[in-house]
Amino acid sequence: MSTNLESLATLARSPHATTGTSRAHEGELVVENVFHRYVFAGRDTEVLHDVSFRIAAGQVACVVGPSGCGKSTLLGLAAGLLRPSAGTVRWDGTPVRLGPNPHLGMAFQQPGLFPWMSVRKNVAIGLRTRGYDRREARRIADEFLDTVGLHDFKDAYPRHLSGGMAQRVGIARALALKPRLLLLDEPFAAVDAFTRLKLQQEFKSLLALSRPTVLFVTHDVPEAIALGDLIVVMSKRPASVQTIIPVAREERDRASPAYARKLAETLACLGVTSDMT
Amino acid sequence: MTSTQAISRRVLLPAIGVAMVLAIWEATVVFYKLPAIVLPSPFAVVATLVDLVQTSAFWRDVGVSLYEFVVGYAIGVALGVAVGMLVGERPMFRMAATPVIESLRFIVPFAWIPLTILWFGTSYAGKIALVAYAVFFVMVVSTARAIAQVEPTLSRVGTMLGMGPWRLAWKVHLRAAAPMLASAARAAAAIGWIAVVAAEYIGASAGLGLMITNAATSLTTSVVIAGMIVIGVVGAGVSALIGAASRAWLDYR
Amino acid sequence: MATPAIAAHAPPRLSLRALRVVLGVAGVVVAIGVWWLLSRLLAHGGGVINRLPPPLAVFYELVHYARGDLWRDLVFSLRVFAIGWGVGVVLATVTGLVLGRSQLLGDIFLPIVEAIRPVSSIVWVPLSIVWFGFGLTSKVFLVGLAVYLVVIVYAIDGSRRVPPDLERTATMLGMNEWQRFVSLVLPGTLTEVLIGSRVALMAGWGTVIVAELVAADSGLGAHLIGVEQSYDVPAVMAAMICFGLAGFVMNAAFSFVERRLTPWRHDHATETS
Ligand SMILES: Nc1ncnc2c1ncn2[C@@H]1O[C@H](COP(=O)(O)OP(=O)(O)O)[C@@H](O)[C@H]1O
Ligand SMILES: [Mg+2]
Repeated sequence: MSTNLESLATLARSPHATTGTSRAHEGELVVENVFHRYVFAGRDTEVLHDVSFRIAAGQVACVVGPSGCGKSTLLGLAAGLLRPSAGTVRWDGTPVRLGPNPHLGMAFQQPGLFPWMSVRKNVAIGLRTRGYDRREARRIADEFLDTVGLHDFKDAYPRHLSGGMAQRVGIARALALKPRLLLLDEPFAAVDAFTRLKLQQEFKSLLALSRPTVLFVTHDVPEAIALGDLIVVMSKRPASVQTIIPVAREERDRASPAYARKLAETLACLGVTSDMT
Repeated sequence: MTSTQAISRRVLLPAIGVAMVLAIWEATVVFYKLPAIVLPSPFAVVATLVDLVQTSAFWRDVGVSLYEFVVGYAIGVALGVAVGMLVGERPMFRMAATPVIESLRFIVPFAWIPLTILWFGTSYAGKIALVAYAVFFVMVVSTARAIAQVEPTLSRVGTMLGMGPWRLAWKVHLRAAAPMLASAARAAAAIGWIAVVAAEYIGASAGLGLMITNAATSLTTSVVIAGMIVIGVVGAGVSALIGAASRAWLDYR
Repeated sequence: MATPAIAAHAPPRLSLRALRVVLGVAGVVVAIGVWWLLSRLLAHGGGVINRLPPPLAVFYELVHYARGDLWRDLVFSLRVFAIGWGVGVVLATVTGLVLGRSQLLGDIFLPIVEAIRPVSSIVWVPLSIVWFGFGLTSKVFLVGLAVYLVVIVYAIDGSRRVPPDLERTATMLGMNEWQRFVSLVLPGTLTEVLIGSRVALMAGWGTVIVAELVAADSGLGAHLIGVEQSYDVPAVMAAMICFGLAGFVMNAAFSFVERRLTPWRHDHATETS
């Protein structure tokens, strides 16, 4: 398993991060023996139990696992929104700080749009807090809203949007920050199947432009194969990493037998056998 | 429901109700030959109201009461929201402040009136302090509660977008709490306005409360009733104004 | 391997409650300390607030009052309050039922109730004194009005809120109007009235204060005005504390009774912060 990871790391395709005098760990996300428990109203729930994996710079890791196993928690830890109970999450080789992190863009499972701002402002506000002037922030926001297909809704308020549209705004907001680390929590879950395929295409071409390191939570195994360089399969709560499955380029072709094999392999890890036809 | 029915329900029947009340009032006065000291006829009250609004003393009383209210209200809202935010944002502060706030809250503002008179005499300052006190507690409690109820995802989004704790509190939590704050601000205005009137009953040199207690002492009952109507109308006006302002502010809903 | 590390990182569970108590006590101590400090600083100041006694002086005054006339005054005030509150609740329940169940009467009179409701009973104080003088009647009238204006809303609401499925069941069981009223409308109304009655506690108690301050012939409010007129600040503050304590005790007692009477109801209004 760890050999897989290392080979993937060396295999990494022209990582943008290693320009100039690169530090060895730049653009790399490392989760190291992370434990997490929630203590709430006297109840103590262990959610993550000794989770470790590593994503090399510019790679896309898809996290799959049963719901409630702690995938969102994992993203919260990588984003510096939560502090692990034990273990460390490293970005660029240093532990992630609790609080705002400028290298970061994240789309949440609940879109979390500010209801008092128009769609455009919702996307622009992050750029504004990161120092862009008003006009520039607005221009970039418009550009990314076009990309996710919301050009007609820029002046709408979030309450006018459907669940899928709100989620797309959330994605645009994360992408517009042009983050070096992109965290996505089931971003296409509320989107209809057809739009989802289109968004996956768009998403891939956008990634090709800036090559961020990506941690992508999804329920959809075909989606994980289509987008991921590796798939992190989580076990039930308290979750640890069950397997890490590398995805090769030829396995992404949905017409190929390699794809079918990968799909069966991944589903088997999740406890789904493929002889149900 | 057809529109004629709607009109009859919304307009005609309430009009009948008002007419009935006025008729009973007038009939009582006429039938029992009540002296104007006990109960003036509705016409006498209207006449008094018309006379009142032509005197400068009346407008001075309105102005004084409104001035005391507005200044006290502004202070109370500003301090109340500020402390309420601290209570809502900082668990340590909340734990330390809650017992003090809860025990002071049970001393209703009216009980402070004698003390404000001892401290500030019959000046405006006493009423301003009283209104500020009354409004403060309403706003502290509602603000803290509203901040605690803000959708946690919004905080995470704010942090993700690069906001520090101050900016998050100011730009996200306060704004998300705005609808609850608006209704609290309206409730606080009603309480503050009544506090002004009550304080003026007991020690004041001018104001609507003083006007109607003086009228009561000199048994000019029509002025008392006219004054009550004015107090009610001003209170309703203030409330409507705050309602309109908050609706303009919350137009995204 | 990392299990000990978890134990070290797990937030200690007991401490939250302990922290709350410690900080709460600290908050009270700081507040009293600030009060004491202010009283020291302002003792010889000569500014507006040169009449702030130290906490201990107020405490002594409280003990002194409790050994003397407090109970007599408290009984006066509580009697005014109890009568007014009872009258207000009963009248509000009856009129609420009538206006809530009769569409015609509701359409005619509810707008008037709605127009009068926001005008606090405090505004009626001078008129009440003109009508009823300085005695018990005028105060009972004012408290009753205050309570009435709060409870009527709950009574109307409750009288209208009969679940449709219960209504159908009643039809199926062949209940007549009276049976229907007693078994469906009345319980729902009384439940709401109970909640309204507690909400009205503070409105009623506040009205007692103002009525007694203005028409000061007996009760806690009269005492408060009396000590105010002799510039006895410690006694004024002691009387204020008595008002607060009485309000607190009434509220707590009523919440307790209410929870006993309607255990099925999770009443959010009970929470104070
Ligand atoms: N703030 C919280 N307090 C207490 N428990 C939580 C909190 N957030 C999540 N949990 C619990 O932790 C577990 C994992 O949650 P989550 O990370 O959202 O799972 P997933 O995203 O995989 O569905 C769930 O059982 C959830 O109930
Ligand atoms: Mg999740």
